[in-house]
Amino acid sequence: MNFVWMFLLSTGCVVAVLTGNVDAMMTSVLDGISAAVELVIGLIGVFCLWVGIERLAEESGLIDVLARMAGPVFSKLFPGLKEKHRPLGTVTASVMSNVLGLSSSTPLGLKAMSEMKELFGERREGLDSMARLVILNAAGFCIFPSGVIALRAALGSRAPAIIAGPTAVAGLAATAGGLLAYHWLSRSRRPGDGR
Amino acid sequence: MRILSYVGTYAFPVILLGVPLYAASKGVKVYETFVKGAEEGFKIALGTLPYLVAVFAAISCFRGSGALDLFASSLGSVLTPLGVPLDMVPLLLIRPVSGSGALALTGDLLRRYGPDSSMGILASILQGATDTTFYVVTLYFGSVREKRTGQVLASCLIGDACGFLAGFLVWRLIAA
Repeated sequence: MNFVWMFLLSTGCVVAVLTGNVDAMMTSVLDGISAAVELVIGLIGVFCLWVGIERLAEESGLIDVLARMAGPVFSKLFPGLKEKHRPLGTVTASVMSNVLGLSSSTPLGLKAMSEMKELFGERREGLDSMARLVILNAAGFCIFPSGVIALRAALGSRAPAIIAGPTAVAGLAATAGGLLAYHWLSRSRRPGDGR
Repeated sequence: MRILSYVGTYAFPVILLGVPLYAASKGVKVYETFVKGAEEGFKIALGTLPYLVAVFAAISCFRGSGALDLFASSLGSVLTPLGVPLDMVPLLLIRPVSGSGALALTGDLLRRYGPDSSMGILASILQGATDTTFYVVTLYFGSVREKRTGQVLASCLIGDACGFLAGFLVWRLIAA
């Protein structure tokens, strides 16, 4: 991330100076950081709602039920979380929300991240479990991509949902590719590489 | 397809009511417990702000300076001989970086070509092929102050490329 951040900033600044785009670049940066603040403000409500619901699921034992149901599938993907119901249940809830296209996916995902961090600290298996959750949710595999479909419908498509199947194939490929890439990268490189 | 859209629509009320009902049946004090969780959600959301500002600043700098367009045109000279339409190349670059940027670009492509045209279908598939990788990685790892993000970011970007490739191949089969 250090490398990517420096790369984006330095390329951006150099190109802006060379092409005389400094003013446009500056406006864009100021707009970008305001957008980040607006985004977080927008997220606060959704986070309060879903982490609140998650706490209810946790205290009532529903998260354990979910973890037991998902165990056979998810314990392969998250070997470190075997028998650890608290992160496993939340991880499952987050990934399922993502697949269904619900707004609860991100709040539950971040809750799961904090549970995993608490459980593992700086240990490598914790990083691996967190990495897999991030890869699953960054690929965003979704059985019904409601955002794109709504956009298509709004622009007058006669078959807005026709892209759901191909999109699911692409999403599966993104998920599988990400997981495989992580498998290779985390073997070949030393852990703790800060880039 | 109908059924899937129903699942998407009705999952929300079912969970919103079902979880508190289940908790109440187990004797959990639903209101106090919800508020305690909401408080935690509030802290998690606020904690992501510095990370998002850092990433959004860098990405906006890259986009606003025109560097992204330069990259898109050089990537385009590699990808167009392979059959990728030139107008899709900026979308491939923006999709993992900026959610709102990609949505605006997809909307523009759909408007220009028509949502049911071959190009419109490809833009829709590429838009849905992956989520905003940089945003997800920043948000998730930022919220737990985890700095070892390099391998995950690289993996997710490789995953995005696989998703785009698969989407493109399916499109070639059905629409091109």
